[in-house]
Amino acid sequence: MSIAPILRKVFLVDLIKGLGVTFRYQDPKEIVTEQYPLERPQIAERYRGQPRLNVNPDTGETLCIACGLCAMACPEKLITVTSERNPVTKKKELVSFVYDTSRCMFCGLCEDSCSTDALELTQDYESALYGREGMVLDRPRLERGPEPTVYAR
Amino acid sequence: MDTLLKYLGSNVTPGEAGDYIWATIYILVIFLGISVAVIAMNWLERKILAHMQVRLGPMRVGPHGLLQPIADALKLLIKEDIIPNEADKVVFWFAPVAVVVTAFTTFIVVPFGRTHAVTDMNIGILFMLGVSSLGVLGIIMAGWASNSHYPLMGSLRSSAQMVSYEIAMGLAVVSAIMMTSMKTGTGTLSMIGIVQSQLEQGQWFIFSMFPLGLIAFGVFAIAMVAETNRAPFDLPEAESELVAGFHTEYSGFRWSLFFLAEYAAMIAVSSIAVTLWLGGWLRPFPNWLPGTRWDMAFGFFPALTFLALALLCFIGVLRMPRIPQFRIQTLGLAGFGALLGFTGLVLLVPGVRIRVLDIYWFTLKVAFFMYLYIWYRGTFPRYRFDQLMRVGWKVLLPVSLGVVILVAVVGIWPELTHKVVGVLR
Repeated sequence: MSIAPILRKVFLVDLIKGLGVTFRYQDPKEIVTEQYPLERPQIAERYRGQPRLNVNPDTGETLCIACGLCAMACPEKLITVTSERNPVTKKKELVSFVYDTSRCMFCGLCEDSCSTDALELTQDYESALYGREGMVLDRPRLERGPEPTVYAR
Repeated sequence: MDTLLKYLGSNVTPGEAGDYIWATIYILVIFLGISVAVIAMNWLERKILAHMQVRLGPMRVGPHGLLQPIADALKLLIKEDIIPNEADKVVFWFAPVAVVVTAFTTFIVVPFGRTHAVTDMNIGILFMLGVSSLGVLGIIMAGWASNSHYPLMGSLRSSAQMVSYEIAMGLAVVSAIMMTSMKTGTGTLSMIGIVQSQLEQGQWFIFSMFPLGLIAFGVFAIAMVAETNRAPFDLPEAESELVAGFHTEYSGFRWSLFFLAEYAAMIAVSSIAVTLWLGGWLRPFPNWLPGTRWDMAFGFFPALTFLALALLCFIGVLRMPRIPQFRIQTLGLAGFGALLGFTGLVLLVPGVRIRVLDIYWFTLKVAFFMYLYIWYRGTFPRYRFDQLMRVGWKVLLPVSLGVVILVAVVGIWPELTHKVVGVLR
């Protein structure tokens, strides 16, 4: 048996190394905790949160063409699209769009299937509610987009 | 006023002078001081431990959670006082009292300075070790009276651990006590006497007979962590195995008494280590930086410490979020900083400065040990019980025995060689 491991034990080398590690981590710069309501975390761009129906910013008209691809793509069948044909232009026009977030798993298949980038899962993560009532989102609510909770005393 | 001046001019502890009034005042001041220190330790431990684990720790109650321990204490005091039905009521009631009383009684002989001790017992160190080992009685009583599995297991572990580590600890203390007789030939057990013999020998015992003093100190430093049931030797209250160990059934005020006693015992054991090996109230570097000028320079340290703390507070004030909800906290922190700064300025007055200097050095050294306790807790995983026993009996005990024998041999070496040479002639 060589002498080095014995000396390491006698002089508590490993323990002192461990102490060094914890000492270095005391630096306040290392802290990863977020003071949540005070400072809000940076959300990844591709994060899938609360849904939104995008409107054309110039005209205020919805981008949705009521094709119903999202409703078909949804594995939970929680999107309901109703539409009626405009007798003048002979185009389908969106009447209502119901999105039930209480059953949604935020897989993003609806977003992917949307041919006009109308439906988008935004980066809003504060989707918790006290009851189920507010979880079924209708068209006006979806077009207004996410309304993050404001915490204040 | 006259008695105050007379006392301030005297050079002995109130116990030696037979001054009952001053002794009572000292006891009250030490009791309050230790209680405040425990509160401060509670905050510091949570904060430092959190930073070591890359967390923030308490942040919401007061600026940087400074008022958290006070909030906790209030919560503990107004909690319902529960005694389990099956418990042995008298013993259950008496156990925390016994633990607290033994933890605080040891402070009678702790020398915060030449005159800053309640009394100077001629068997001071023996008294301290004896009374602090009585604490384990309270722990056993708590575990037994709870009439529950986990507390009993915890207290059994605690007693086994204390018994095995007390031997190594005692032998390490013996080697330090033998060093007190090195040059004068008359050793002492008095806490003040031990520090004074370090002053006369011109070196702290940690450096005496290098490396024997250092090894004895190392043995003591390990054994004292085990004695106070702190991580990594916190088997009696291992929360992953025994819920909370011997105080599982305790809550509210009784639990807070155990908490108080644990921290008071930590401070007491650290002050034994400081007194025996680190020169008690003596200032550092007496040999490298000798002379009255350096004495003077070191005399400014207490004031500088407080002023630095005040500065930290003011920096904290500047870095507080500037929103209305934080206005009261910011003002409070500024007030606390002003208080610290004022204390620092008072400490610059020459009379006060000289008077508190020894307390300052002693407290600083004890504070270093307190930091070590937290540091260990943040670093080391808990020992298994058989590992604990192996370290105690197979490593620390032989090492401390060897140190005692070697210190004895080195201590009488001149006499021994003289005699042997005489016999040979």
